[in-house]
Amino acid sequence: MNQVINLTLNGEPRTLMVACHRTLLDTLRLEGGLTGTKKGCDVGECGSCTIIMNGKLVNACLVLAVEANGAEIITIEGIQRSALELHPLQENFIKYGAAQCGFCTPGFIVAAKALLDENPRPTIDEIRFAMAGNICRCTGYTKIVQAVDETAREMQENGREAL
Amino acid sequence: MTAFSIIGKSVKRNDLIDKVTGSAKYVADMQFPGLLYGKTLRSNVAHARILRIDASRALALPGVKAVLTHSDVPRVLHAGSPHPRSASLSCDQYILDDKVRFWGESVAVVAATSEEIAEEALGLIQVEYELLPAVFTVEEALRPGAPLVHDLGPGGNQVLDPVTCQRGDVEKGFQEADLILEGDYEGGRPVPAYMEPNVCTCQWDPTGGLTVWISTQTSFMVRGIMAEVLGLPLNKVRVLVDHMGGGFGAKQDLFQTEFLCALLARKTGRPVRMEFTREETFLGGRTRHPARIWLKQGFKKDGTITARQARIVYTSGAYGSHGPGVTNVGTTALASLYRCENIHVVGSCVYTNTPIAGAFRGFGVVQAYYALDIQMDEAAVALGMDPAELKLRNAVREGDVAPSGHPLIGHGLEDCIRRGKEEVGWEALRSRERDEHGPVRRGWGLGCEMHGSSAYPGIKEQGNAIVKMNEDGTVVLFTGTAGLGTGTHTVQAQIVAEEIGVTFESVSVVHGDTDAVPWDIGAFASHTTYMGGRVAQMAAAEVKAQLVARAALQQAVDPSQIEVRDGVVSVKGTDRSVSVREVMMPKRGIPAPQFVGSATYHPTKSYSFAAHFVEVAVDIETGAVKVLQVVPVHEVGKVIHPVAAAGQIEGGIQQGIGHTLYEDFQIDLKTGRSLNPNFVDYKMPLFMDMPTIRTVLLETAPDPGGPWGAKGIGEDPIVAIGPAIANAIYDAIGVRFHHYPIKPEQVLAALQEREGGAQ
Repeated sequence: MNQVINLTLNGEPRTLMVACHRTLLDTLRLEGGLTGTKKGCDVGECGSCTIIMNGKLVNACLVLAVEANGAEIITIEGIQRSALELHPLQENFIKYGAAQCGFCTPGFIVAAKALLDENPRPTIDEIRFAMAGNICRCTGYTKIVQAVDETAREMQENGREAL
Repeated sequence: MTAFSIIGKSVKRNDLIDKVTGSAKYVADMQFPGLLYGKTLRSNVAHARILRIDASRALALPGVKAVLTHSDVPRVLHAGSPHPRSASLSCDQYILDDKVRFWGESVAVVAATSEEIAEEALGLIQVEYELLPAVFTVEEALRPGAPLVHDLGPGGNQVLDPVTCQRGDVEKGFQEADLILEGDYEGGRPVPAYMEPNVCTCQWDPTGGLTVWISTQTSFMVRGIMAEVLGLPLNKVRVLVDHMGGGFGAKQDLFQTEFLCALLARKTGRPVRMEFTREETFLGGRTRHPARIWLKQGFKKDGTITARQARIVYTSGAYGSHGPGVTNVGTTALASLYRCENIHVVGSCVYTNTPIAGAFRGFGVVQAYYALDIQMDEAAVALGMDPAELKLRNAVREGDVAPSGHPLIGHGLEDCIRRGKEEVGWEALRSRERDEHGPVRRGWGLGCEMHGSSAYPGIKEQGNAIVKMNEDGTVVLFTGTAGLGTGTHTVQAQIVAEEIGVTFESVSVVHGDTDAVPWDIGAFASHTTYMGGRVAQMAAAEVKAQLVARAALQQAVDPSQIEVRDGVVSVKGTDRSVSVREVMMPKRGIPAPQFVGSATYHPTKSYSFAAHFVEVAVDIETGAVKVLQVVPVHEVGKVIHPVAAAGQIEGGIQQGIGHTLYEDFQIDLKTGRSLNPNFVDYKMPLFMDMPTIRTVLLETAPDPGGPWGAKGIGEDPIVAIGPAIANAIYDAIGVRFHHYPIKPEQVLAALQEREGGAQ
C-alpha cells in the first residue's frame, strides 16, 4: 500500500509517494535522492543514518516514511551553508582528520550539529555522550572530539550568528 | 637535509570534502535505471549436501526476475583470496557449490525489482539438505577420522602444509637457559566491522563487457578473478571503485556475491546491485583467524633469550581465503621482534565448519605477538627486571634476520621504547605508591611490535604509477592504489608535488578505474605509502627531468643549474625565475610538450616499529577493565601527513581495544550457528569507551625503499595495543591473562580463584 506524504527536506517542501512499510532512510535515499544518509545496519545500531527530524536526532532506519508526514527533516545535505560554503563542523572534520572512510561521517556531523544547536559549548564528556550512538570504526573517535570541540570554541568566539 | 615544502604537512585531504558534505558516492548511493536488487539465501545448517532446491514459488512471485542456484552457475574452482600465484593462495571455492560448509554460506540468489520482493522471494525457496557431521573447533577438526571440510589440500583439514621457521638449536638454547617459560595463548574471533556493508553493482553492455562498481581494496584482483571465473578477457571487465567505507583487510577477498551479481545481471539484462545486510557482513564476511599458540622461551639471568619454540594453529573456517598468507606471516613473526639465535616455530591452519577467516589488519601477527609480548612481560617479572628493560635488551637490531628471512634494514624498536618511557615517566610509574583503596586498581603495561610494509616475500610486489603534466603546469597522477579512507591519494599527491616541485593543489589523482589506471595489487600489507607512494615519486621524477630539461633549454643553462620548488623554476645562483606554467605553456603556435612519466617498482620489504604504553583501570568488584590512556610511539621512517598518520594509529588502537576487551564473534559449538552477528550483541568500543590517545611519531629509521624513507603504518597499532592492555591488567591486579577478549566475568572469576587459592 502506498501513501502520499508531505515533508520539508532541508528547507524544501517535498511531496513523495511512499510504500507504507518503507523506512524513512530508504525513502530519503531512493525517493528523496539524498544518499548522504547511509545505511550501515538498518536496525538502529550504528547511527550512520542519523538525521534531524523536527529538531530531534533520529535514526532514519527506525522511522517509517509515513511517520514523517508533515515533518521537517535535516540531512547531511542540509548542513552546508551554501553550495560553496561548508559548515564549520564540516571544515573542522576535514582539518582534524575526523573522517577517514567517511561512511559514518554524515551521521556524526548531523549529530554534532544537533548537539551544538542545543548546547553551544559542550564539555568533552558531553560531546562523547551525545555521539555515543554513532559508530566509527576508523578514527578511534579522538579526532571527532577534537573537531566538534574546536567548532564549539569557534562558535563561542565568533558568536552564534557567525555560524 | 632537504627542507620539505609539502611532505610532513597535514594538507587538506582531497577526499574529505565529498565525505563531509554527503556528496561522496559509495556504491550503494549510485542510481541506475532499471536496477534490480539481488539477495542471497544463506544456509541454516553448517555442513550439508544440497539434495534439492525448489525455487518455483520464488520465481512465481511478481517482481522476481531471476533465481540462481549451484546448478545454474559455472563450476569453476577458484581462490577466495585472488592474489596471483602467491603464497596467500588457496584454491577451494566455487561460485555456488552443491555442499555448504558453514552456517550462513550462500545457497541461492534472487534478483527482483525491489529489495523487499527479493527478501520475500528468499523465504519461498525450499532447500533440502542431507546433513553431514561437522567440525567447529580445531580439536574436532584434527581428531583422527574427523569429517573433512574439503577433499582438497594436504588433507586432515589442513589448509596448507605446516610452515616451519628454524635456526640454531633450540634444545641447546634451552639447556643454556636459567629460566624457561612455557604457556598456551589464545586469540578470539573478532571481525573488521567496516561501516559500509559489502556491496557491488554489475552491468553488462551490448558488446559483452561487464562493469562492476564495488567496495573493494583490490580492484585489479576483482577484475582478474572475475575474468578468470566468468571466462572473459581482462578488457571486458571494468572494475570501478570511488569511495569505499572501510575494509581493514577483509575487502581484499571476493565474497561470491560479485560473481552472482554479474550472472544475475547477465541473465536479466539489467543492472543488479547486491548489498550485504549488517548480519551478512558477519556471516558472509571475513573474521580474524582464531588462534592457539603454545610458546616456550629460555632466558639467561640477564634477560638474554636463549631459545624460542612455538606452535601456532590458526582456524581458517570453511575456506582457505588468506589462511596460507596469515600462517606464513604470523609464524615467521615469532622468529623476530626480540633477538634469539635458537628458533623453532611451526604454524598451521585448519579448516572448520565456521565462517571464513580472512585478511584483517595485523594479518596473523596480532595473535603471534600477543603471545610473545605477554610472555616477555612474564619473563621480566620472573627475572625481577623492568619489562621495558628486558624488551630493550632483546629488541631486534640492524642486520638481524627479519620475519621475511632477510637482514633488517633500520630498526626503531629501541627508539620507540625509550621515547615512550620518557613520555609516560615510566621509571616513576614503576616505583609509584599503589592505591589499594576502593574497588579500582590501576596498572600500566607495555606492548611492542614490528610490522612489514609490503607482503614480500609471500607476494612478489609490484607498484605502478603514471604522472602527466598538463600544459599549464598542473599534474595528474594515475594510480591503481585504493583509497580505503586512509587518505592515501592525498599522501601520493603530496609526494608527487614535492618531487616535481609544484604546489599540492596543482596535483590531482585519477584512481579507481581498472580501464584507466595502471595495474595495482591492492591496498593491504601496509604498503600503499611505501610502494604506491614510492612509485608515484619515481614517475614524478621522470616528469621533473623532462621539465628541467625544457627549462634549461629555455634559460640556456645546464639542467644541473635548474631548481623547481613550489611551482617556480629558478636558475641557481641567479635571480632568474619563471613559473612552471610558463615553462610548459604553448609558445609561438607550438603546442605544449607532452610530459608523461611512468614507473614500475618491485620493492622488498621494510619494517615499522611501535611501543604502546597503556594505563588501565580494573574494577575488582565488577571485573570491568577500562583503558584510561594510551601513549603509542611509532617509528615510521618518514611522516608524510601527520594527521592521517595519527588517524591510522588511533583507529588501530580502537580496534585493538575491541579485540582485547570486548569483541568476539561467537559460534554455537553444537550447530555452528552464529550467535551475535549484529552491533548490539557484538560489542565494539564506542565513543564513551575510548581513552585519551597521545600519539608520538618517530622518523629515526627511514627505509631506503620508501618515499623519503617512509614506511607503513596501517597495521602496526592493532598489534601493539593488545599485549599492552593484557600486561597493564597484570600490573593492576596481578592476574595474568593469556587470551583475548578478556571479559569482565573472566576477570572476576580469576580474582576469586586467586583469593580462593590464597585462603
